Amino acid sequence: MSPSVAYGTDIDERTKAAEQSATDVLSAPDIPWNLVIWNDPVNLMSYVSFVFQSYFGYSESKAHKLMMEVHKKGRSIVAHGSKEQVEQHAVAMHGFGLWATVEKAANGNETPGKGGRQRG
Amino acid sequence: MAKAFKYGLKGITGYLEPAERDLLRGLLDDVISMLEQDVRENEDPLAALIGLDMDVKQPSDRALLRLLPNVMKDDDGGSLEFRQLTERSVRENKIGALKAAAMGLDKDDLVLTPESATRWSMALNDVRLVLAERLDIRDEADAEHIHSMQDWSQAEDVESYLALVYNFTTWLQESLVQAMMAARQAKS
Repeated sequence: MSPSVAYGTDIDERTKAAEQSATDVLSAPDIPWNLVIWNDPVNLMSYVSFVFQSYFGYSESKAHKLMMEVHKKGRSIVAHGSKEQVEQHAVAMHGFGLWATVEKAANGNETPGKGGRQRG
Repeated sequence: MAKAFKYGLKGITGYLEPAERDLLRGLLDDVISMLEQDVRENEDPLAALIGLDMDVKQPSDRALLRLLPNVMKDDDGGSLEFRQLTERSVRENKIGALKAAAMGLDKDDLVLTPESATRWSMALNDVRLVLAERLDIRDEADAEHIHSMQDWSQAEDVESYLALVYNFTTWLQESLVQAMMAARQAKS
């Protein structure tokens, strides 16, 4: 990624991309990047669930399910999309203080909420 | 004593004693100074203007690294590139939220909109992340141990004092998030 590319999209497009990814996150399993949230002993479960609801627009039950997966399995894939989209989500998650990373999807079989394969 | 945040007709409200507000203000200021970078000489002004930081490095301080984590697990180069593009704005957003929370502490009563409450919770969360690093909270067992210290008469050294402060911020954050959830449900 070069600076000119990253800052090349204009604001409208970026907003559109954010809106799109908020609603289309789950319907695009073929796009090859994942946003992963990692467990940590500090962030409150209620806070993490709130962030999933307010930022991604997930329902309370879906947010709760993903949060519990982070808590119990150590990590959860909470969204996927293009590299640029998941990086944008990661910036937002770091703003909230959640421990987020991005990774290439292994083979497209993983979907948010179904558990992630541990890497490395 | 502080009162838990709650959601009601006026929005999200809370109350803190003057001593509690001083304590929180101090904590918020500490995190702000951690995040503020010295203005570098010879910095490219155009790069600064659009938020680039080509000289950025992975933070050596664990607490700062927790606030500004690597974006890729096994790719230091990729993570650094991401920092160059985004770290400055993440820092600035965090500082903005922390400053807003600190300024809101000028009054006894806290009255928050859903938006300002979200910013408040982000600021308080960053304070908790930093305190947790200072307290060496690495896993759930450490967290349990710290959480068990609830009695202020136990505050006999810096660590136990910090633990009690941490527990206070945890309690405050939990009540804030519950009030934010209630506000969300009322809206929908």
